[in-house]
Amino acid sequence: MSKTIETDSLEIFANEMEKVKDALPKKIEANPENAEKGLAKLVLTLIELIRKLMEKQAMRRVEAGSLTDEEIERVGETLMKLENKMKELKEIFGLKDEELNLNLGPLGDLL
Amino acid sequence: MSLYAYAIIDSTVGVEESIKGLSGAPVYTIPYRDIGIVISDLNAQIQKEDKKSVLKHEEVVEMLMDKFTVLPMRFSTLFSGKEQVLLMMKNYYDDFIENLDRLREKIEFGVKTIWPGDLIRERITTAHRKSDNLPLVASSSGKSFMNEKFENYKIDKEFEEEADRCIAIVDGFFSKFISEKRLEKLKTDNLLLSASYLVDNEKRDDFKKAFEELKSSGGDLKYMLSGPWPAYNFITLKHSGDGKFGGMDLVETVLQHKDPEEKDEK
Repeated sequence: MSKTIETDSLEIFANEMEKVKDALPKKIEANPENAEKGLAKLVLTLIELIRKLMEKQAMRRVEAGSLTDEEIERVGETLMKLENKMKELKEIFGLKDEELNLNLGPLGDLL
Repeated sequence: MSLYAYAIIDSTVGVEESIKGLSGAPVYTIPYRDIGIVISDLNAQIQKEDKKSVLKHEEVVEMLMDKFTVLPMRFSTLFSGKEQVLLMMKNYYDDFIENLDRLREKIEFGVKTIWPGDLIRERITTAHRKSDNLPLVASSSGKSFMNEKFENYKIDKEFEEEADRCIAIVDGFFSKFISEKRLEKLKTDNLLLSASYLVDNEKRDDFKKAFEELKSSGGDLKYMLSGPWPAYNFITLKHSGDGKFGGMDLVETVLQHKDPEEKDEK
């Protein structure tokens, strides 16, 4: 059965697929040398997931107009502090934004 | 020594002796009831990124595809011995039969679409900045933060809506010729769509023709068709997901390692 790969832009596709591959490690790399970083990456990925869910929920409520001025202020302050704390933690463990993700196979990407 | 598995097939007959698997070892079938698993003996370790082995795995599965309905195994699936193989066959037998029936005479095609995501996002962002339609009076740091986030949220939402519209158009070209599909949206900002389509073997030419029509439909989108593949992305196991079966990752690994000048029809 002859296989076809048909495109006028093979290089562009190869580059884009390389980005996907680089961005999404399938496993948390944990070994004796970097156990702390591996664990931090896993924990921070989960915190980031929850933070983003909270943020999205807040945006939906702003959009729907269901938050009072005071509530918006409080939510804004909280989300800002969470984001700043995450920045600090990422710096401490030398992690970049794109590293905080996990490929969950058939379920897709975590973030 | 381990047993390296390539695929489940809808037959108990042995495969041709001339088929060589990883490390040049002959490929053979272990029958279980009315189906079989195609394997070869393996003494060495497998490296996940070993290009030669990935291509060999795919080559064996492709050869099997010509004669049987196959359920391809994920690259680097190993068993410690025949007993372990038979136990797995026993545990998954019903799933295998169900999948073999569903995938009989069917093949998989991959369609990827790139769009100018960076430019589209920029256009949406500029339009938002111009309209300056912020919902909150930014009198404090909390509200300023929320304003900024809300603007980004609206931009993301509009970007995704635009992506959905484009995907519906691309997908529409194939809808008449497919049995099943798996669509992945925006794996990167520019990789608009990574689609896998399950196609009846007899409709393969219609499917390819639809791709040609899509390609010549103009616009600044870029398309790539690959296949026919074994149905890596359409095997569904009720028993459990132990990760032993094929998937997009193998298809993409093979695509990335393939030298199109060397093996493929252009």
